[in-house]
Amino acid sequence: GASGLGLGLDEEVEVSKKRQPVAKLDESRLLSPAGIPRLRRTAKQNLKFQGKGHEFTDAARLLNFYQLWLDDLFPRAKLADGLSMIEKLGHHRRLQIMRREWIEEEKPRVQMDDT
Amino acid sequence: DAVAFGQGVQVVDPEVRAHVYSLVTALGGFNGEDADRYVLGDDALACLRDIRRWLKLYDEKYKRMDVARCLGEANLINGDLLPILSLWGTSGQKSKYMSRIALACLELLVPLTWPLEIHGEMTVNNHRHTPYLQHAQVSYKRGLLSRGSYNLLRTIIRIGLPSMAIPRSERTMRDDGILKLMLYLLRNITVITPNTRLAAEGDEEETSRSATINAFQAQDVFALILTMCSNIGDDFNMQDVVLLEIVFHLVKGVNVEKLFMDDAQRSAKHTDELDTLLKQESSLRREYSKNAPTRHGRFGTMIWVKRDDAKVSTVSGQDVLKDSQATFQKMDGSKKWNKPRPRQRHEESTFNNDFSTPAHLNSVASENLRMFVEEFLDSGFNPLFTHVRKAIEREANRVVPINSRQFFYTVGWFLHAERARRARQQEKQSQNEKPLKELEPDSFGLVASVLNQETFVFLNRSMQTSFDQKDWEDLNAQMRCFTQILLTVQEMAQSSLDEDQDIAENIQNRIFYEETTHDRVLAIMRGYKDQGFSYLDACTELAHVFLRMLERYSKENVDLQVRSRARARRKNKRAEATAVEDNNDEENASEEEDIMEAERVCRERKFDFKRFAAKFCNQKCVDTFVAFTKFFRELDSGQLKRAHRYFYRVAFKQEMSVLLFRVDIISLLYKMIKGPGALDSSKPIFKEWEELARQVIRRMIKKIDQRPALVTELLFSKMNSTLFYLEYGHEKQTLPSI
Repeated sequence: GASGLGLGLDEEVEVSKKRQPVAKLDESRLLSPAGIPRLRRTAKQNLKFQGKGHEFTDAARLLNFYQLWLDDLFPRAKLADGLSMIEKLGHHRRLQIMRREWIEEEKPRVQMDDT
Repeated sequence: DAVAFGQGVQVVDPEVRAHVYSLVTALGGFNGEDADRYVLGDDALACLRDIRRWLKLYDEKYKRMDVARCLGEANLINGDLLPILSLWGTSGQKSKYMSRIALACLELLVPLTWPLEIHGEMTVNNHRHTPYLQHAQVSYKRGLLSRGSYNLLRTIIRIGLPSMAIPRSERTMRDDGILKLMLYLLRNITVITPNTRLAAEGDEEETSRSATINAFQAQDVFALILTMCSNIGDDFNMQDVVLLEIVFHLVKGVNVEKLFMDDAQRSAKHTDELDTLLKQESSLRREYSKNAPTRHGRFGTMIWVKRDDAKVSTVSGQDVLKDSQATFQKMDGSKKWNKPRPRQRHEESTFNNDFSTPAHLNSVASENLRMFVEEFLDSGFNPLFTHVRKAIEREANRVVPINSRQFFYTVGWFLHAERARRARQQEKQSQNEKPLKELEPDSFGLVASVLNQETFVFLNRSMQTSFDQKDWEDLNAQMRCFTQILLTVQEMAQSSLDEDQDIAENIQNRIFYEETTHDRVLAIMRGYKDQGFSYLDACTELAHVFLRMLERYSKENVDLQVRSRARARRKNKRAEATAVEDNNDEENASEEEDIMEAERVCRERKFDFKRFAAKFCNQKCVDTFVAFTKFFRELDSGQLKRAHRYFYRVAFKQEMSVLLFRVDIISLLYKMIKGPGALDSSKPIFKEWEELARQVIRRMIKKIDQRPALVTELLFSKMNSTLFYLEYGHEKQTLPSI
C-alpha cells in the first residue's frame, strides 16, 4: 500500500524452513563403515551356528542377525522392506564391483596365481 | 423449506425427460376396469419406435446416456416392456400387430441391457449415469429371470423361432437381425451381475449366476444354444461369436473340479472346506493364545534387547519375555514406515470379462450347468470353436478384440471339463465292480477341433503378440488354454486306443519340435512383474506342466529333434564381430541381408532337456516362484506342490541351491514352517516343505562356513559371473579360447 512506499515492508516475510532431508538407504550408506563392512566384521564374531539338526534355530539366528544389522544401518525400514531395497541396490555397478572383490578376496591363492 | 442435498440438481435436461416420460406414459398401462391386465396404448408401436429413435438419435449420437437414464427412472422395462411381452406370450401370438410390438420391445431391451464398462473415452454424462444404469440393469435382469410364472426367456426365444426355422439361404437380413437381437439379449443377461461395490440389498441371489443358469435350463435357453452351436456353419453362420460370448459368461470362473462332483462329493468337499476353515481359525486362535498376555493389558512389562556396542533396544509387552523370536518380530512390527509402493497403473476395466474371480453355484445350478456342459462337449464344441477360430483369424466384422481372450479361456475351460468328465466316468466304472456292458473307451474326437495344427499356430502367434504387447489378461487366458491342451494331450497319450496314442505322439512332437515355444514359456516365466495373482498362477502352472511333460517326452524319445533358430543367429553375430573392423556401407547392407538370411535358416538339433531345465534355474524364475509362494496361506495343496517341485528342482536336481540363498527367501521358508501364520502342520504338504526348508538351510549354513563372502551375497540376487564359484567353490572349467 501507500505506507510501504512500494518497498515491500508491509508484506510478510516468508521464512521457509527447509525440510530436514530424509535419510536414504543408498549405495554410499550401504558401503559406509556401518554398512556391509560392519556386516562382514560382525558376522565373523556373532554368527555361530549349531549345524546339523538345528536348521531352524540357525535360520532364526541368521535372520535376527540381519535384522539387527539393518536396524542399525537404516532404522526406518522393516526387515522385508529393507531387504528388498538392498537387493535392488545390488544391481548398481559400484556395488557389483565391490561384491566381486569380496568374493575374490577369499578365493584360494592357487587360482590367483593362475590368472 | 429445507431441500435435501442434491434435490435441486437436474442430471438430465428437463425437456428430454418430459419427452421421454410422455412416450412411456402413452405406451400403455394397468388402467381401466381390469387392473391386473396390461392395456396397450392406441399408438403403442409408434411409441416404441419413438423411444428407440430417442435412444439412437440422442443417446448414441451425442454419446450421452440421458434417455437410458430416464427410461430407467420411468421403469420402462419392468413396468411396460415385460408386461407387454408376457401379454404377447400368453395370448397375442397370432396377431401380426402384436408380434411386431413384441419385436419392438426386444429392440429396446437389447440396448438397455447392453453391458456397461468404464473405459477411457467416456463423457462426463456417461460417468454420471453409469452407476445408476448398472444398478438399473440388475433390476432388469431380475425382471427378465423371475417375473412370476411368465417364462419371459422362452417368450423371447419364440420371437426368434420363425427366423430360425427358415433355411440359411433364404433368410433375409431382417431375420438375421432378429436372431442377433435374441442372442445379444441372452448374452446381456449372462453378463449383468450385481455390483459388488454397492451395498448388498439382500436379493443378489435372484440375479446370481446360479439363478441365470437355472432359468436358462428351465426355459430351454440351453437347448437353443446347443442347437445353434451344433449347427454352426450349416444353418447358422454369423451367430458364432455371440454364442461364444454367452458360453464364456456362463462358465467364467466356475471351478471345473467342483462342477463334476456329484452331490455327495460336493457336500463332502464343502464340509472339508468348512473343516479346513475351522481348523485354520482354531490354529490361529491357538497361535494367538500361545502368545497372548497372561496378565491384564496394563501390566507393563518392558525388556531390553542387548546389542553390540553396549546398545540396547527396548520392547514392551509380556509376550516378548517368552520367546526371543517374538521379540524380534515385535521390534520389526512396531516400525511405522512402509516402503512406498510403485503406484498401480490404471488398468482398463475388465469387470465384465474377468474370469479370475471364482463363481459359486448352488447344487441345482451345478447340476444344470454340468448337463449343459456335457451336451455341449458332445455336440457343440467342435463346430463352434472351429468356426469362431476361423472368424477371429479372418478378422471378420463381427469379431471384437475381446473375443480372442474369451475364445482361449473357454477352450481351456472345456478341455479341463472334458478331462474332469473322463475322470469321473472312470471312477464310476471302477466303482461298479462288474460293468454291465463292455464299455467302449471314448476317443478324444469330441475335442479334436482345438488339437489341430491350425489352432496351435493361432495360439502360438497370439501368445507371442500378447507377450510382446503386454496384454497380460489375454496372455493369462492363452496360458491357461495352452496348459489344458498339454494336459489333454498327455491324457490322450495314455489312452487305451492306439489311434489316440498315435495322435498324441504326433501332437507332442509338433508342440515340442519348435524351440520358439520353449523359449516363449521361459520368457513368460522370467518376465513376471506385478501382473496379479491369477496371472502368476497361470504362468507358474504352465511352466510346471510344460517342464514336466517335456522331461517325460524327451526321456521317452531320446533323439528328440528341435527346430532351433538361435544358434544360426549367434553364429552370425560372431561373424559380424570379426567383420566389424573393415566395414563400409556396402558391406553393411550385404551383411544385413546375410543376417536376415541366417535368421530364416532353421537348424535341427538334438534336444537336451538338462540344458533346457537349467535355463529355468535363474534368479528371475526363482523370483517369480517366490512371489507365488508368498501367497502360501491361500494356496491349495496342488499349488503348493507346484512351487515345492520347482524349488526342489532348482536346489537339488540342478544343483543351484545358491539361487535360494537370499535372506528374504530364507525368511519366507522360515515363516512357512515356524510362523507366525505357518502352513497347517497336519497336512502332508507341510512335511515336504519342512524337509525342503531344512535341506536348503542346512546347505546354506554349510556354504557360509566354507565361503564367508556369502554373508554379503545373501543380501543380493547372485551375479552370473560368481554364481558358479559360490555353488561349487571353483571356477567353471572352460577350454581356453585361442
